[in-house]
Amino acid sequence: MKSTDLNERVKGVGEAVLTASGLGVGFIPEGGHRQEVVGDVNLCLRTGRMAALVGESGCGKSITAAALGGLLPRGMKMDQGEIQWAGAGACGPGRGLAYVFQDPGECLDPVFTIGNQIREVLPKEDRSRAEERLAELFRTVGFDEPARVQASYSHQLSGGMQQRAMLAMALAGRPRVLVADEPTTALDVTVQAIILRLLAELQRKENLAVLLITHNLGVVAEVADDLHVMYAGRVVESGPVELLREPWHPYVKGLLRALPRLEENVSRLEGIDGSVPPLGRRPSGCRFHPRCPLAHAVCREQEPPLLGREGNRAVACWACMEGGWA
Amino acid sequence: MSRPLLQVENLSVRYHTGRHRVDAVREVSFDLSRGRCLGVVGESGSGKSSLARAVLGLEEQVTGRVDFEGQAVLNMTREARLAFRRRAQIVFQDPVGSLNPRMKVGVALGEVLRVHGLVASRVEGDAQVRTWLETVGMDPVYAGRFPHELSGGQRQRVNLARALCVGAELLVADEPVSALDVSVQAQILNLLQALQKSRGITWMLIGHDLAVMHHMADEVLVMQKGEVVERGSADEVFRHPSHPYTRELIAAAPSVERALKRRTAEGPSLGLKELASPVQD
Repeated sequence: MKSTDLNERVKGVGEAVLTASGLGVGFIPEGGHRQEVVGDVNLCLRTGRMAALVGESGCGKSITAAALGGLLPRGMKMDQGEIQWAGAGACGPGRGLAYVFQDPGECLDPVFTIGNQIREVLPKEDRSRAEERLAELFRTVGFDEPARVQASYSHQLSGGMQQRAMLAMALAGRPRVLVADEPTTALDVTVQAIILRLLAELQRKENLAVLLITHNLGVVAEVADDLHVMYAGRVVESGPVELLREPWHPYVKGLLRALPRLEENVSRLEGIDGSVPPLGRRPSGCRFHPRCPLAHAVCREQEPPLLGREGNRAVACWACMEGGWA
Repeated sequence: MSRPLLQVENLSVRYHTGRHRVDAVREVSFDLSRGRCLGVVGESGSGKSSLARAVLGLEEQVTGRVDFEGQAVLNMTREARLAFRRRAQIVFQDPVGSLNPRMKVGVALGEVLRVHGLVASRVEGDAQVRTWLETVGMDPVYAGRFPHELSGGQRQRVNLARALCVGAELLVADEPVSALDVSVQAQILNLLQALQKSRGITWMLIGHDLAVMHHMADEVLVMQKGEVVERGSADEVFRHPSHPYTRELIAAAPSVERALKRRTAEGPSLGLKELASPVQD
């Protein structure tokens, strides 16, 4: 059975820049055999659009993001599927794709000024007009006092300013794809709102293809266009963010029910029993079946494929299939 | 109505760093009745954790009054403090950092019981540890496991058992679910609520997630730069915020429902209108 072709989605809105198909990452311990960390992930990143990869810790979202840029940690290898860059322009990690991570304080070098760090990553063609380009980048990420920031060390900046500096650095190479891995998780809510807004503006103005990695469904609903929900190394549901209005997969439904609401107060939250299985203990069949209220025998034995359905949506669940029981 | 369990009056906490002085908490007053849940919300640096620690007598430079059942917490005698520590406990955000990695869960909990003189023998201790693990919804076999063998939610349950087993009546929880995944967070929040009902635990919940606070708290204090800028019943504060800072916090909190309502056919429409655009054109 072939998984849904996500490339066919959202035609005309943006051009495909990076397409990952059947992407799989294995962890191969020394002298051990391969364990699958992430399997069969299909992603298509398009200009001017933001795709979100959502899931709880241990579901493989950061590993997927790392695989796109060849940044996998030691012992892990992308040994399935392929990544294709489309169109003219820079490809691959470095020039084509840039990252922003969760903790800007740790990503910035404490012994160099912000200005020096960004100057260092400027591509060759910008070196001769470094100051001009620096001012441009600082304007793009909305620094009020560019001169002060340039001369500052990272500890002299607030978390929000540090993240802006990271964004400026990421944009220095004029990437076509920006991968933002939990970019606002370490920030306060008011600052988070500002950085998210900035991210959305950059995506529009610079026509960037953005991949947002987050555990926060609220953040996704605020800024993203497309959504891929991962569970234990697989994409279980994907489609336009509006799918959150009426998700199909029992895991996504459960996540939404488990979320406390700001608007209304329910007397009791419905958590999902159990927790995400760690790498070596992922169950056979559908990985969600031990926690799933809808699980039948088939779920224990066979893994459901991610099948495309109406409205550019896709879901991997036996119960949601034609002739299913949900 | 009977006297509140906790009465705090004009509490201030001050830190000295070199030549600088930081007023982390300024003149905070509140009452907390038995069996209620008080939520303290604010962003980092607002003084919410300092307030929590000061209430438990864990801060040094404190002025004002903290009364626990009418007894002053600051300047307690040694014996009184030991008794107070049994009745007022704290649970921290990081469930890993709060547990000794070299001790099995059962041994760690047993030690707490022994230190406080609550059990006569190891056998009695083991039996009690099993009961407490069941109280927090864990299988007693986990007594034989090390913290690294537990999931985040289970570790936080152990921390709750650790706080409860000495007879805590007031539990201060500093961001107890921030490090947990959403599906597990709901389980722990449900457990906190169940303990509030079944054991009459009084909660002081510190956090930054407004939705969690709205769900859990009966009353809320909103803190900014060490000061309480708004207080009231949770429903009142979150439905009809009166202070601009509270409004800003609520507007900035990402919410699935609100965002979905706002989304148009073209895609997301950021609802962050209240906040100035960071990009200068």
